[in-house]
Parts: sequence; structure tokens; C-alpha cells
Amino acid sequence: MSLSPLGASRSLAAVFTPIKSGGLVDEVCRRIELAVESGLLASGQRLPNEVELAGALGVSAVTAREALSQLRGQGLIRTTRGRSGGSFVTENSFPSLVQARGKLMELTRLQITDLGLHFQAIAAACAAVAARRSSPEDVESLRNYIRPQLDDGEPATAFAWRLSAAEFLLEMASVARSARLAREMLRLQADIGTMTLLPFSDPAFCEQTAALNSSITEAIADHDATGAEARTRELITSTITWLLAEYAGSPH
Amino acid sequence: MNGKEAAPSAAGVGEPSATTTTAGGVPAVIPEGAVPAGARELAALIDSIEAGIDAWAQATTEWLSGQSKPTGTAIDKFIRPAVARMLHEPGSRLAGAGFVAVTGLLGHGRSYIAWWQGEDLERVDALANFSPSSISRYVKTEWFKVPVETGRPHVTGPYIDLLCTDEYVLTFTNPVFSSGTIAGVVGMDVTAQTLERAGLASLRSLGPGAVLVNAGGRAIVSASPTVDAGDLVQAAPEAAIYPVGRQFRIITHTV
Repeated sequence: MSLSPLGASRSLAAVFTPIKSGGLVDEVCRRIELAVESGLLASGQRLPNEVELAGALGVSAVTAREALSQLRGQGLIRTTRGRSGGSFVTENSFPSLVQARGKLMELTRLQITDLGLHFQAIAAACAAVAARRSSPEDVESLRNYIRPQLDDGEPATAFAWRLSAAEFLLEMASVARSARLAREMLRLQADIGTMTLLPFSDPAFCEQTAALNSSITEAIADHDATGAEARTRELITSTITWLLAEYAGSPH
Repeated sequence: MNGKEAAPSAAGVGEPSATTTTAGGVPAVIPEGAVPAGARELAALIDSIEAGIDAWAQATTEWLSGQSKPTGTAIDKFIRPAVARMLHEPGSRLAGAGFVAVTGLLGHGRSYIAWWQGEDLERVDALANFSPSSISRYVKTEWFKVPVETGRPHVTGPYIDLLCTDEYVLTFTNPVFSSGTIAGVVGMDVTAQTLERAGLASLRSLGPGAVLVNAGGRAIVSASPTVDAGDLVQAAPEAAIYPVGRQFRIITHTV
């Protein structure tokens, strides 16, 4: 079987796309941004120094230094000198609604709807397979992420809701036990993650998400693939609909 | 390295015996005669992995017991060459391996992870050692908690490992001690795919419906056209059941 000329040239174009210089520096920055954004590195926390960072990530000290300087430029970290000096994650640097909104407004409407379709396809596939393969232990761990678990009386922040919602979907992918679907879900979370902070600043949206997460969990517990898939589609649709309304400046 | 599955209620530690129990607890007797070659081959495959981690845990315990105050650097220096040797061994079955310290081993409130994966010996989650919230993810996992709490070897999975390999894996972990006190675990990740490549032919020789399952009855490798790795299965009444390693078994027929 031979590829059509069009097909061949398309795949070749992807192979021979120039590799951007400075890609490694950007990659180091992206990792640290992700760690901060996902709450793994907290505000005020000391970052490893150049040498430690280089050793940890397997890059040269020059690359680590450049990355730290780039992050400083972005205002994500600040560096102090002296004995107790070092690089620290700046207070309230991440995650912010302003940044999330900035990211949303950078996109086109077309990009948002397309991302939504991809997200929905993957999440729905995970839900259906998860319903087939779930054990009682799986259902227990899904229940932990229906809504953020907090100490008594402490109100859940938009950030806590967003983390919990992301964990719920990743847990569902784990219950499905497909490495490919789980990897795709991780990638999608990275793409859409920051933006999903926005709808979780809306209490009505939070409660709706918890209600849908709960029905998805029950469908998965009952091995009801059709139900789990349908509720998951609703869940993703509600996120994208909220983001599109925000994008258009219309009320939710 | 993440994952959860029903912890085995009675992990059979020791020599394979002639009888075992089905997922439903119904005793099943292996038919008259010797255990067939295919079942012995699969048992040898898992035994070799388990013997490997036993020896490594022993060596790590001996080394740690000679350290008055272990540091991250010292741990890296001891663990990394061992991981490199195991990953680069011809025919190595490992996707990754490493050590995770119990909280407090390196100083007040501190844990530590020294784990590498792949041919290039990529360090896993290197930033975790700088982030207390990040390392707590590891100490909560089944593969860490069970050996630390029971003081015995454990196999976790198969599960989707979103913390390091991003693959469908089994994690074998053994406790390690420092002068008799629990100090952490050493662990090895083996992908379900690796076990299929190494063991499918042996499994097929036991019949067209044979499945290798974990303690919770979850398929790890399947020769059956109706069972996929990841599915939960139950033994059919006519099934022969053969123990494999400390926690797995082969079921020749499933319902």
C-alpha cells in the first residue's frame, strides 16, 4: 500500500519541522510552570539552585541558569542573594484567574470548540471502558474526587475545585486501564487546565460538576457504560459551554 | 508508580503448591500429574523478578545499616549504579527501578525518591525531592505503604502509572531496613507489555482461554480472545489454576 502524495508530504513536513533552538530552556520552564500551576510547588517555596536543577532534570547548568532567568523575567520566581538566598516561587504568581482569562482570550472560538471535541471524545471513551472494568476499590477512589475534600468549615477555592476535577478525570482514565487514553487525558489537562480555573469561580458550575461527577461514579459502579459515557459528555459540554459564554462576554 | 487494587487478602508467599483457591474462594485442585511446562515457565519468569528484588533489597539493607546519616547524594550514589546495571542487563524486563525513603530517614519530615527509568536512565520526578507536597504522593501509594506496613514484599497492579512510566505496569516493592528499622522500599516497574512478550507463548500452551491474573482477579496477560489485559475475570468451574510467583495465578478457563 502506498501513501497518497498528499499524505506522504504531510507526514514528511511534520518530521522535518525545524527544531527550535532554546527548546530545552522552554521545556525546563514549562515543567516548573506546570509544577507551580498544579500546586506541586507552592508560593514562597525555595526552588533548587542551578546545579541541583540541572542535575535533577538532566540538563546542563547553562540551560538551568537560562531557564531560571526566563522564569524570573515572567515574574514566576524571584531570586535573593546572601546566605539564605536562592530562587523562590513568588506569592500569588499562580494560579490566577487573570492568567486563565488571558489564556482563554488568546484562543479563537474555533480552537476552543475543537479542544472541546477532543476532550469529550477521550473522556467519553475513558468513561465507557472504566464502567466495564471497575472494581469496588476503583469506585471508592473516584468518590474521593467528586468534590474537593477539605478540612471542616474551610471553603473550597476555585483552585481546589479545578485540581479535584482534573484528578477525577485522570482517575477515570486509570480505572479504564488504557495507557494511551490516560496519556491523552494528561495532555488534554495540560492544554485546558489553566482555563478551567475560570468556570470553577462560579459556585453554580461547581455544584453542577459535583452532581455530574457523582452520577458518572454511580454509572461506573453499576457497570453502566452508556450512562457513564452520556454523563461524561454532559460534563465536558458544560465546561466548554461555560468557557464559550465567557469568551463571548455573555452571562452564564 | 501509583495505583491501587484490592490488596491480596492472603498473598501466598513461598513455594508454589498443588492447590490454590479461585477468586471466589472456591478451592480448585490442579489436575493429576505435574504442573505443565507453560505454567512452570511463567512461574520461573515471575520468580526471577522476585528473586532479583529480594537480593537488591538485601544489599540495600546492608548498605543502609552501615550509614550513620544517609544523605540524598549518598543514596543516589549507591542506588543509581544498581539501577543502571539492572536496566542495562541483556534481556532486562525492567522499565524502571529505584528507592523511596520513609519520612524522617534523611532528617526531620523528609522523604526522598531515587528512581530511574528507561535505557537513558531518566530520573523520575526529579523535582519531587524539592517539594514536600509532591513527595507525599509517593508515600501514600499502595506500592510504598504495603511493604512498609507489613515488612513484606508486595506486587502492586497492573495499573496505569501516571507518576512515572505512563504505562500499564506492575510494581514490585520490597521493604529495606536500616539496623532493623524500616527505612523505605526498593522497587521495580515491569510493564504488562513486557510480560506479554515474555510469557504469552507459555500461556497459550496451557490452552486458548488461559489468563494470567493478579491477586484481585485482574488480567495481566491474556491468551483468551474474550479477555483483554485490564479486565476482571472469574475462573470457570472446569478451570485449572496454577500459582505464579507470590501473588499471581494462571486460570486456564474463565467465565
